[in-house]
Amino acid sequence: MSTALLEVKNLKMHFPIEEGLLFKKQVGAIRAIDGISFEIKAGETLGLVGESGCGKSTTARTIAQLYKATEGEIIFNGRDLASLDSRELLSERKNIQMVFQDPYASLNPRMTVTEIIAEPLIIFKNRGLMTISKKEITERAEFLMEKVGLSSFFRNRYPHEFSGGQRQRIGIARALALNPKLILADEPVSALDVSIQAQILNLLADLQSEYNLTYLFIAHDLAVIEYISTRVAVMYLGKIVEVSSSKVIYKKPLHPYTEALLSAAPIPDPEIEKKRKRIVLSGDVPSPDRARTGCYFYDRCPKKMEICKNNIPELTETGEGHHVACFLYFSP
Amino acid sequence: MIKEKSAVLPVNEFNQPDKGVSLTLDAWRRLKKNHMAMAGLVLVIFFILISVLAPVLPIYSYTEQVIDHQYLPPSLTKNAGQLYYERTLGQMNALAEKEKRDLNQEELAALEQIKYRIANETAVINGKEVKVHERRYLFGTDYLGRDMLARVIYGGQISIAIGFVGTITSVLIGIVLGAIAGYLGGKVDYIIMRIVDVIYGLPYMMLVIIFMAIFGRNIINLFVALAVVSWLTVARVVRGQIMSLKNSEFVEAARSSGASTTRIIFRHLLPNTLGVIIVFSTLRIPTFIMLEAFLSFLGLGISAPLASWGSLVGHAVDGMNLYPWRLFFPAAAMTLFLFGMNFLGDGLRDAFDPQGKNKF
Repeated sequence: MSTALLEVKNLKMHFPIEEGLLFKKQVGAIRAIDGISFEIKAGETLGLVGESGCGKSTTARTIAQLYKATEGEIIFNGRDLASLDSRELLSERKNIQMVFQDPYASLNPRMTVTEIIAEPLIIFKNRGLMTISKKEITERAEFLMEKVGLSSFFRNRYPHEFSGGQRQRIGIARALALNPKLILADEPVSALDVSIQAQILNLLADLQSEYNLTYLFIAHDLAVIEYISTRVAVMYLGKIVEVSSSKVIYKKPLHPYTEALLSAAPIPDPEIEKKRKRIVLSGDVPSPDRARTGCYFYDRCPKKMEICKNNIPELTETGEGHHVACFLYFSP
Repeated sequence: MIKEKSAVLPVNEFNQPDKGVSLTLDAWRRLKKNHMAMAGLVLVIFFILISVLAPVLPIYSYTEQVIDHQYLPPSLTKNAGQLYYERTLGQMNALAEKEKRDLNQEELAALEQIKYRIANETAVINGKEVKVHERRYLFGTDYLGRDMLARVIYGGQISIAIGFVGTITSVLIGIVLGAIAGYLGGKVDYIIMRIVDVIYGLPYMMLVIIFMAIFGRNIINLFVALAVVSWLTVARVVRGQIMSLKNSEFVEAARSSGASTTRIIFRHLLPNTLGVIIVFSTLRIPTFIMLEAFLSFLGLGISAPLASWGSLVGHAVDGMNLYPWRLFFPAAAMTLFLFGMNFLGDGLRDAFDPQGKNKF
């Protein structure tokens, strides 16, 4: 077993709800992430799935230190990111880069492609963390453009002169600029056409094998996750309910929520699609604004038991590398 | 022959780096298609050129008084001597007619003397000896015999300077405070915006008048007074823009690669609010000119012998019926400039916001 590149321990991200004009009082919190633990090994891709609002993007942003975590540890390369001072954190940021969802919003419309891709390099140069000449920066930007499949002749263009897929390539090139180890891809393909999605996924896979990258890959499209991930984590209401290798989880989901989620994905074959049985969950996702004493999925679970009401199931290993948080498979 | 030639030409557009079209360049292209805005731009540039070049233009000094030439009407064909003589003759005739008599000996002698003086009198102006009655006043003269053309041009210099300097100062203050409030949010935002609200609530004209009364009437104080009360709207506009941009993904991207707050504000946020700021500033310049005109009209603005369009109009109101040219020329110059500025501003707004609904 290779060592974990990133280890997240009991991570919580609560956004305070405040009241009052000048003197704010916290009256509650949106529990976007409510205690999750997982690890990503070097070179693998962890796919993170779940429906809208379950905390996937917040997880990525908290790991990238865009939000200050409420509680928990984010151990990267053996160091807890949450406890680093700003200088150490900056040098650690070099190894963690993000690719964003919306290729239209994630590029500054007033900068040229070269400026966008070179920005991380320029920041690190200005902060004295990297010695690199202007010429080298330009060359690196051009090299990266070619690497992600864009002609470097376009280097003086602005983002609005590119298509969505091309813009996403620019975003990927920017993420690669500092030679990171971990890339947090926050739904990098969900805003793209299906044909372009395949291109971008293949590009990401190629880059991974070439540079030995590690991905945390967020998506709500199960087919995309199945294609790219080595392991899959399923999130619900700020909790991880199941983690397993992608082969196992798609064949034999254990958690009732995973079952329901997988049954909702259409199959591109009309014969099988007709026979497909859907598990339809009742009700909506509850609001994440209160602390819970029982299973997070209790309200909507088709297989709920008495024990689920007042006990929170912890993520427990049930098979080889297969973790699930459900009392159907173990007792508290 | 043809084959050789095509070998030299680029094969297609992709084998050489192409030039990007920035949003600003795009806006300029749209602006060029807007005829009214371009007319406005030409007008504005014309005014600015005239004001800047005033010291080297072949015009008379705006302070030089020629007492004989009081209230001469504008004329393209006659010089000052002819107008002076005609006016004196007219006055004498009117007096004689009133008294039902012909011109008497005394008056005829006076006329002869004026004729002699017009032909021979010289004065030293700017170290040069000139025949003072051969001057020509295209825009007429004022109550001290000063050339109105020169006064309108130098007045324009001051009015335009107040418009630009006032706008630039207020926009700078507004940008900095608005950007800080919008980006930092929370308590800082609350405090800055409440200060803005309070100053907004005060009658700003009164503030300016009090300021001018306390610190004295000079042109620097006027700039400061106008800037102090007019950064408020800029601050609000910039704050709103920054707030809508600060959570966008390109800012998060910059933050995740370690960009400092200063870099985010000046490299990412402000360039994206530039369009709004430019449009706002262009439409703000006329307001400043009007404000200054209003203050000068009240006698709180520019003090003599300096002139601004506002003070010229203010002084001209007294003899409006008898000497309409004193009112007409500065008023016309000001109106034209404000027209140009407003058309340019409207055109810029359309150019920077192509999806905008408020088109002609």
